[in-house]
Amino acid sequence: MSAARTSPRSVAVPAPAEGTGWVGKSIPTKESVRFTTGHGSYLDDVKLEGTAHIALVHSPYAHARIRSIDVKEASAMPGVLAVYTGEDIRKLVDPFMQLAPPPADKVLDYPLAVEKVRFVGEPVAVVVARDRYLAADAAEMVQVDYDVLPPVMDAESAASPSAPILHEAIGTNRVWDGVYEYGDVDGAFAQADLVIQEKFHYHRFNSAPLELNAALASFDRRTGELTLYTNNVMPMFCMPLVASSLRLPSDRIRVIVPDVGGSFGNKINSFPYMVLVSVLSMQLGRPVKWTELRSEFLAAGTHGNERTFQIEAAVRKDGTLLGLRGEAFDDTGAYARYEPAGAVIWAQVAFSMYRHKNLRLHFHSVFTNKCPVGPNRGYSRAQHLFLYERIMDRIADRLGLDRGEVRERNFVRADEMPYQAPNGTVLDGGDYARALHRVQEMLDLPSLRAQQKALRARGRYLGVGIAAALDSAGNNFAQVRVINPHLPFSGNSESARVWMDMMGRVHVAMGPTNQGQGHETMASQIVAHELGLNPEDVHALPGFDSHSHPYTGHSGAYASRTAVMGGGALLGAARELRRRIQVIAAHLLKTAPEDILLEKGEARSRRTGNALPLSVIGGVALGNSLELPLDMDTNLSVTYVYRPPFRIPSHVDKKGNFTLTYSYQVHGAVVEVDPETGKVHLRRYVAVDDCGNMINPAIVEGQVIGAAVHGIEAALLCEAKYGADGQLLASSFTDYLCATSLDVPPVEVEHFITPSTAGPMGVRGVGEGGGTALPALAAAVEDALSPFGVTFQDSHLTPERIQSAMRGRAPTVPSPP
Amino acid sequence: MYPRPFEYRAVTTVDEALRVLHEVEDGKVLAGGQSLLPLMKLRLASPGVLVDISGIPDLSYIRPQGENAVEIGSLTTHDTVAHSALLQERCPILPAAARGIADQQIRNRGTIGGSSCHADPASDLPPTLLALDAEFSIVGPKGSRTVPAKEFFVDLFETQVQRDEILHHIQVPTLGPQWGWSYTKFNRREGDYPIVGVAILVRLDSHGRRLEEVRIGLAAVNPTPCRARAAERFLQGQEISPAILKEAAHRSTEGLHPGSDMHGSSQYRRDMVQVFVRRGLEEAVTRARLAGGNP
Repeated sequence: MSAARTSPRSVAVPAPAEGTGWVGKSIPTKESVRFTTGHGSYLDDVKLEGTAHIALVHSPYAHARIRSIDVKEASAMPGVLAVYTGEDIRKLVDPFMQLAPPPADKVLDYPLAVEKVRFVGEPVAVVVARDRYLAADAAEMVQVDYDVLPPVMDAESAASPSAPILHEAIGTNRVWDGVYEYGDVDGAFAQADLVIQEKFHYHRFNSAPLELNAALASFDRRTGELTLYTNNVMPMFCMPLVASSLRLPSDRIRVIVPDVGGSFGNKINSFPYMVLVSVLSMQLGRPVKWTELRSEFLAAGTHGNERTFQIEAAVRKDGTLLGLRGEAFDDTGAYARYEPAGAVIWAQVAFSMYRHKNLRLHFHSVFTNKCPVGPNRGYSRAQHLFLYERIMDRIADRLGLDRGEVRERNFVRADEMPYQAPNGTVLDGGDYARALHRVQEMLDLPSLRAQQKALRARGRYLGVGIAAALDSAGNNFAQVRVINPHLPFSGNSESARVWMDMMGRVHVAMGPTNQGQGHETMASQIVAHELGLNPEDVHALPGFDSHSHPYTGHSGAYASRTAVMGGGALLGAARELRRRIQVIAAHLLKTAPEDILLEKGEARSRRTGNALPLSVIGGVALGNSLELPLDMDTNLSVTYVYRPPFRIPSHVDKKGNFTLTYSYQVHGAVVEVDPETGKVHLRRYVAVDDCGNMINPAIVEGQVIGAAVHGIEAALLCEAKYGADGQLLASSFTDYLCATSLDVPPVEVEHFITPSTAGPMGVRGVGEGGGTALPALAAAVEDALSPFGVTFQDSHLTPERIQSAMRGRAPTVPSPP
Repeated sequence: MYPRPFEYRAVTTVDEALRVLHEVEDGKVLAGGQSLLPLMKLRLASPGVLVDISGIPDLSYIRPQGENAVEIGSLTTHDTVAHSALLQERCPILPAAARGIADQQIRNRGTIGGSSCHADPASDLPPTLLALDAEFSIVGPKGSRTVPAKEFFVDLFETQVQRDEILHHIQVPTLGPQWGWSYTKFNRREGDYPIVGVAILVRLDSHGRRLEEVRIGLAAVNPTPCRARAAERFLQGQEISPAILKEAAHRSTEGLHPGSDMHGSSQYRRDMVQVFVRRGLEEAVTRARLAGGNP
């Protein structure tokens, strides 16, 4: 690998002009051909000779002490190679490093439960067998004797001193808690004309990637090297966790990520399973594979953070929000595997899109007897943005103002951009009010209101809801120092390598893993744009391999970062390669490097018009190099690390630039609610998004629609619901209801393009959508049912919840439009 | 998913099926496999021997039985039922119920006999067949017998079909022009098992004013598909009015003990029975009046 070049500052590059070059064009994604014709290679497609397969034994209880585990019968079953319990594994690996400060750093977390089980579905033992069927048969024969303990099923009661304790080693269920205070909160409340008190609950759900978690470990006893195939999408960040748990030096671990069938953040928390198959392979001396079942993914994969807010809003009678104060309880489940990062990540959008200056939030991260939480599209921010949008609706309703007008009054204005929020985060451009107006226009609000009135007269209830949200991207890792100042993380960076071979062909590899977002296409576009090539002619390496791809410790596909971080790295690498090609071409064409233009696969002198194909440049530089002076650099392989200009936030005042770019979205939903059943029929859905300059608008559109649908199904269908006894009720796709095309109308999308003032090429990251659909749908349902005077505090709206809220209520006279 | 080990026997005639079922101890008939195989994959069902009857050619048919009935072979797929011109003409409620089952892939494989014998109380066809007073012809080692719908469904996932028997065909009546019908299912997501399913048949007098006969089949509210007999009795002979339909809807929950799950509590299901019985009656009456020339 060639010398890395690092940039200390943001690469401030203007967007390419309309119609020129490849950046900004909606070319079809290159990789979709293999994905849609069955030629993708996912983890389970990786076959190694002699592979053993595992089946996990899961806890049927939410909270219990393990009295004994009898593996005799299972061990004797045909084809069974070994059975390991948590106690066995504990002797072979170290517990996972914890992010939390004391005392929660003392939590002992292993790939299999040790001494206790803490959620339904937690693995307690593993059977390794010749094939997956035999492993499953034997897993049923493992006898576990439990002492059942009372489960702790919600964060607020888990935080109380009288609650049963999950982790006795720390003596509390608190993972982290702290107060974020910005501005003069009590002063704001002293000035308020109105104080609104509310409680909101953001429910538990996750994502439904087509491919589930999987890992294949192969330990070579000859070399002492472990090859770990994984579909973890943040593998190099997880590597220190994996290596230290396995007690292996990182140079003995090769990580390979093949094609990945979706993640939405959920696959980041698969490292306990990566360690499990690795240690089994090291023990047994053969490859060991794990492919997750859907029921395992639902019970023991990753859930999104469930959060309860008790909140007060100080408001002026014109609808101006002056301040917010209250408590947030984050239910992080049984182990802190990425937590308590969620206890600070919300602060990327602490003030959402609004101008108010005063916020005090006491944030509690709490263990409960549920599946561990972790990144899930809109990680930790969607919850907070839901709070803001619902508060805006409450302000409007309480003051008799229009919900849109209240948002407009409070929005950060276009002429204030870039805008620094009171906690130091910088909103990098946009016109929030104009996006709101556009959504209102797309919906044709006046005619909707007329239609609503006419339908109400006939006992039908139409409603419209509009919500806005930030889609923050490219996080500054230093924000975790707000929760633990000793954590050795800060900034963000990404690495890309662009190189030309001696036939003049150009290759590119980078750190972010491709989970289906079109990375190969966007990388090809950026490189082609800079080197005067066609994207088809740029070879983007699929997947990720720590032996062939460049990376940094931040590498991976999370926080909507690839367009920004990967884009910056690709741009830097491609431009340096261009410069080197120009130098060589100038020598061969007897002109100056500045005179050389790269276009249509050639290096051409602008002055003379003489040109050389890139194959000649590559051939001379790499194979016929005595044609060049000995002191000329013939290295046509460039690795570039892009680093945005972050600073380390203070963990005392909790201020800093937590994220690089802020896309924003405004969504509008039109629903009809059946007042007798409570069922919500989504009639229309529109979205305006602004992610600045787009590298590939078609990919952006897919991300915006995907995020909208993800939010719609979360609001109406998907809930990782538990019973009071700790059983997961939504334990299969029978009850965890993902939306199908029959449940969601076409999402109508428009783009605004306000170039980012922070991201390379004026680009902002996009793809999580800020969970905008959840508050939009809650608002729409309330609007539909406003004659009944019902409101909803929950982000999940089941027919029964709506129907029971309306029970015994009669509609009032039609409300004014 | 990984089922427990099982033996698989493919048979091509009814006699062969009966012979194999008689020989083996732990046999289970496989028809379209749309309910059984998912249960096996979850290890909720683990038959020792799967007797696959889907290759028996003469169990898939829909044919008239005189003027007054239609006979449907047990291996007839939901899709075939949904698109049958004969059923559409003589017994249109059945194609209507079949059209709403799950998705097209499942309708292509799932069969009317399989669904009936599986006897999931939340399925669409059993309450419809109950409302139709369908007759179930069962063959076994001792010959064949016919069981009326009201006796066919015994308990949760249990019917009159014994371990060594198979369901041969189902006979449904031709509905005359004085009949109206509706099949309504209520679910959170298109294609799912219903929270409540309601199959309704009404027969009106020649003026379209009075209910001569009413049959209401309910899904998903009891351990077996069931009839709302109290509501049926109440409506018989009544002059049609909104108040009467509402009262019947109220009575339709008599004797029901719906379970609770995350999609609906017992109380919610009872409420939904009332909503959809009333709506279903309105729809069925409208249809009967249109058919009888009394709109």
